Amino acid sequence: MSDALSDDGSHEDSQEDVMTPAELIVKLEEAWLNEKFSPELMENRSEVVECVMEQLTHMEANLQRVKKGDAKASIHRMEIDRIRFVLSSYLRSRLQKIEKFFPHVLEREKSRGEGEPSLLSPEEFAFAKEYLANTETYLKAVALKRMPPNLQTVDMIKAVPQPYLDSFVFLRVKERQENILVEPETDDQREFVWSCAVDLNVEVCVLVWMAPGDHEPAEITRP
Amino acid sequence: MFCEKSTELIRDLQRVHDGQLPAFSEDGLRQVLQEMECLYEQNQSDVNEAKSEGRAELIPSIKLRHCCLLRNQRCVTAYLYDRLLRIRALRWEYGSVLPANIRFHMCAEELQWFSHYKKSLASFMRALGGGEGLDITQDMKPPKSLYIEVRCLKDHGEFEIDDGTVILLKKNSQHFLPRWKCEQLIRQGVLEHVVS
Amino acid sequence: MDPAEVEFLSEKEIVKIIPNFSLDKIYLIGGDLGPFNPGLPVEVPVWLALNLKQRQKCRIVPPEWMDVEKLEEIRELERKEGTFAPVPSPYYMELTKLLLNHASDNIPKADEIRTLVKDIWDTRIAKLRLSADSFINQQEAHAKLDNLTLMEINTIRSFFLDSLNFMYKLRSNMQPASSKGKAMDY
Repeated sequence: MSDALSDDGSHEDSQEDVMTPAELIVKLEEAWLNEKFSPELMENRSEVVECVMEQLTHMEANLQRVKKGDAKASIHRMEIDRIRFVLSSYLRSRLQKIEKFFPHVLEREKSRGEGEPSLLSPEEFAFAKEYLANTETYLKAVALKRMPPNLQTVDMIKAVPQPYLDSFVFLRVKERQENILVEPETDDQREFVWSCAVDLNVEVCVLVWMAPGDHEPAEITRP
Repeated sequence: MFCEKSTELIRDLQRVHDGQLPAFSEDGLRQVLQEMECLYEQNQSDVNEAKSEGRAELIPSIKLRHCCLLRNQRCVTAYLYDRLLRIRALRWEYGSVLPANIRFHMCAEELQWFSHYKKSLASFMRALGGGEGLDITQDMKPPKSLYIEVRCLKDHGEFEIDDGTVILLKKNSQHFLPRWKCEQLIRQGVLEHVVS
Repeated sequence: MDPAEVEFLSEKEIVKIIPNFSLDKIYLIGGDLGPFNPGLPVEVPVWLALNLKQRQKCRIVPPEWMDVEKLEEIRELERKEGTFAPVPSPYYMELTKLLLNHASDNIPKADEIRTLVKDIWDTRIAKLRLSADSFINQQEAHAKLDNLTLMEINTIRSFFLDSLNFMYKLRSNMQPASSKGKAMDY
């Protein structure tokens, strides 16, 4: 039951080294927490999502075949429920942000360069476009078309609030960091760094003021 | 005073507690649109007059009306959009079929929007994991232990659970049982969930 | 973050149990567990330990730090120092609650433990509130706060971040030629 991912031949992302299922779940949980605490939509991790879903499907299928009263079945089921919760919560977090910032999200996706990783998964992209179209159609039908000619459109990019990128966030840095460089807010060269270190694990929790356009909040990993 | 009606639209909506959807204000919207039409027509004629007869003193009122038009558009859009956000939340709270009393509060176009939204959401969920599909409107809370504590409200006799063990459900006895097995019995009034 | 979600995270912590049943090794997605043999200690995540305990299939061994003397020391340290003492576990609060609610019969001096942990929590939260308060008031650039747990951060998270964000906005509005503060009118 504990096939390494490579045995399934399921991982598609050539950048990821072969991951064990356990490592995959760790990655999922990280993605979940990062997405939850970041004010803005993070890069999509659909390769993780797909691999996790494969694991769940695989396990569910096994459980169907297991005979009644198998003591292990309930334990597997509990684990599946836990993993499925994290996965659902992660996808919900993303969807909420996509809906909240839909014109900006689509704009970001449109303006990313060749070779840059995608912000949205294909399903999310389709959903975002539909959300935009649905909302625009709605506004037009219910009110805009009945307004004076020069007022029949609304610029969604201006109308829908942007994610607040100057937001403070708590960061958990996974390994000891020397010299975290934070852009000064004013000419006084202030640093807004509030750091905590959990000695036991040499982890650092950092409250960092994010510079505008700084898209890398909570996942700072250095070898 | 201009824009009073559109401000009232928003204020009334704000007054209703977060999440609840009051009835759609057809009247309110119509009044704002009428005001906009008036303002626009007045501006059209003033603009023509200003141009053809050089009456520059009309320009401040033209600008004022234009500001009011923009404000009305903004208020109406805000009103409609805020309602959409509440409607969206309803899909997540009630599922894809809304209670009749809520539907009653929605205008035709809102019902359309909702219908498209839930279809879009369904497609999204179906496509997850390379077509495997996942209903992310479930599992809203972290799963707790599979087992729940229940009290037996009436005699129900023997009850077999997963690993083959048999429990005797006697009135007033308490047990730890698998949640899904209990759910039906709880609905039937045989068992009662004990929340510690 | 929902307290239920913090509790969910805390349930991944590993705890020792003494099973009263036999089961060979089980291969979960997240890792392997067991084998289980009656009377022999085995390490499992808290979520499983609680479930097995509820089904009366095991006894839970309290973690090393869940001990009256150790906790008294920590409480003393916490009360003496202005900074935060190292935590016995990143989820000390949640685990205490879970284990005492479901397995208090396996934990010696459970009531004392409950009181000690609550005292430690109260002291730390009070310190946290003071620091957060002064940090915001004095717009301090730097504060050294070690050893906070997720649950503790959670208690002030939204207040703290909202205040800092709000004050930042106010400050930005005062900056000359700053585009950030201007109201976006469309």
